[in-house]
Amino acid sequence: MNAEETRQVIGGIWTERPDGWWLSVHAPMIQRIARTMLEAGARFSAIVALPSSGDTMRLSWHWDMGGVLLSVVSEIAEGAPVPSIVDTYPGADWAERETRDYYAVAFEGRADTLPLMLRDGDKPGVLLCKVGEKL
Amino acid sequence: MSYRIPIGPYHIALEEPYKIEVDCEGETVVGSSLKVGFNFRGIEWLAQHKNITQSIALLERVCGICSNVHSMSFCMTLERIGQIEVPQRGQHIRMVMAELERLHSHLLWAGIASELIGFETLFMQIFRLRESVMDTLEAISGNRVNYSMNRIGGVNRDIPDRGKVRDVARDIRNVTEGALIPLLTTDKTILARCQGVGVLTRTDAIAYGVVGPVARASGLDTDLRRDKPYLAYGDVKFAVPVQTAGDVLSRVVVRALEIVESCKIIEQVLDRMPEGAIHAGEIYSVPAGDAVVRIEAPRGEVFYYIASDGSDTPVRVKVRTPSFANIPAVSAMVKGCDLADVPLIQAAVDPCYSCTDR
Repeated sequence: MNAEETRQVIGGIWTERPDGWWLSVHAPMIQRIARTMLEAGARFSAIVALPSSGDTMRLSWHWDMGGVLLSVVSEIAEGAPVPSIVDTYPGADWAERETRDYYAVAFEGRADTLPLMLRDGDKPGVLLCKVGEKL
Repeated sequence: MSYRIPIGPYHIALEEPYKIEVDCEGETVVGSSLKVGFNFRGIEWLAQHKNITQSIALLERVCGICSNVHSMSFCMTLERIGQIEVPQRGQHIRMVMAELERLHSHLLWAGIASELIGFETLFMQIFRLRESVMDTLEAISGNRVNYSMNRIGGVNRDIPDRGKVRDVARDIRNVTEGALIPLLTTDKTILARCQGVGVLTRTDAIAYGVVGPVARASGLDTDLRRDKPYLAYGDVKFAVPVQTAGDVLSRVVVRALEIVESCKIIEQVLDRMPEGAIHAGEIYSVPAGDAVVRIEAPRGEVFYYIASDGSDTPVRVKVRTPSFANIPAVSAMVKGCDLADVPLIQAAVDPCYSCTDR
């Protein structure tokens, strides 16, 4: 499958931007999307967390397909668990652990979520710290 | 009986702090686990608390080898948000810097790999070659590591002596084609250490999301310079070397062939360098918005995401380096191999722990 066929199989309303194609979904859909991406031969690239207004977090998962960026975005409530895609993409393991370290996002469906950049026992959410605030 | 050998985080065989715990049965590796984060500097947090002009210098320090690609990616992401047009001459200078950086990175790796293989004469010859690239980078920028070439909207300096840069590229191409590649592909010592060692299958390469030469050595025909051209890469001719065996030798060959292609790109860019400005003027902020930019760094795709609220300080700066994508695949590569091959296999990924940890 190419990027266009993959978008059609996944469905939804994709928006074209200069950097690639973007789709907004509910977080529980991400596992099904990841499986479709793998079957299509897409390479997992990154997870980006962005604190939004209020108590929500915008999470985006990014794949590459022949140079085309396919990005899937979901708004999640603070503290709400997000399905893990590690069973489908082992390469997402570090991305999920880092997201947990930086923004305290909990990924469910994994055996464990060990710290990646932080040490055992460190409080997750290090990028949420304010200037001068101790970890 | 199985036993576990911890290597690192501080070990004579490692050039940066990193830990691999290897589970063995006899001399055979049956499993491994990797630990990083020993160089964590919180660069993303810092970039979200400094203005974008300060952050150019900060992001250039993500990596001590491919420093230029980070400041360039940071600037290009802001340029995409602000719809800032970089003058053609500035784009061409960025390409020369990017390819010189790829040359020195690949030659550095080839030298270190030669030493690990036990071929010290080759190490010395490769480092002699690399030194000419470092001298060229210094002649252009005044610096050997952090070049400070990039600014939002272009570059800070022109290339003073294009003829000299062209001569260096031609010399490296000739030596690589005439001596380096034949040696790397036929020498018995190199073949004995590299062939069939540390295999990453194409399927595993996709599942682990590896990038750059590691992906291309496992049969993935991918290169952002060709697949999603940026700067003026769409206007130059170059091949994308791909190997299918997925072993250490394939990674060696891919990088050696890429040295030749980088030289060809530099020669073409210097020949077609347009006249005009090298930057778009003084720019200290960009409008509100967000964007992703991906660049083909020496080790593979660099991923930058920036969100701006219109002020001079970004709301979010996300950096995913190629080593972050490639290092986890070491676990798949070492499984079933001899313990003695672990240092070479992990080195064949060309890992940068400083980048990974940021």
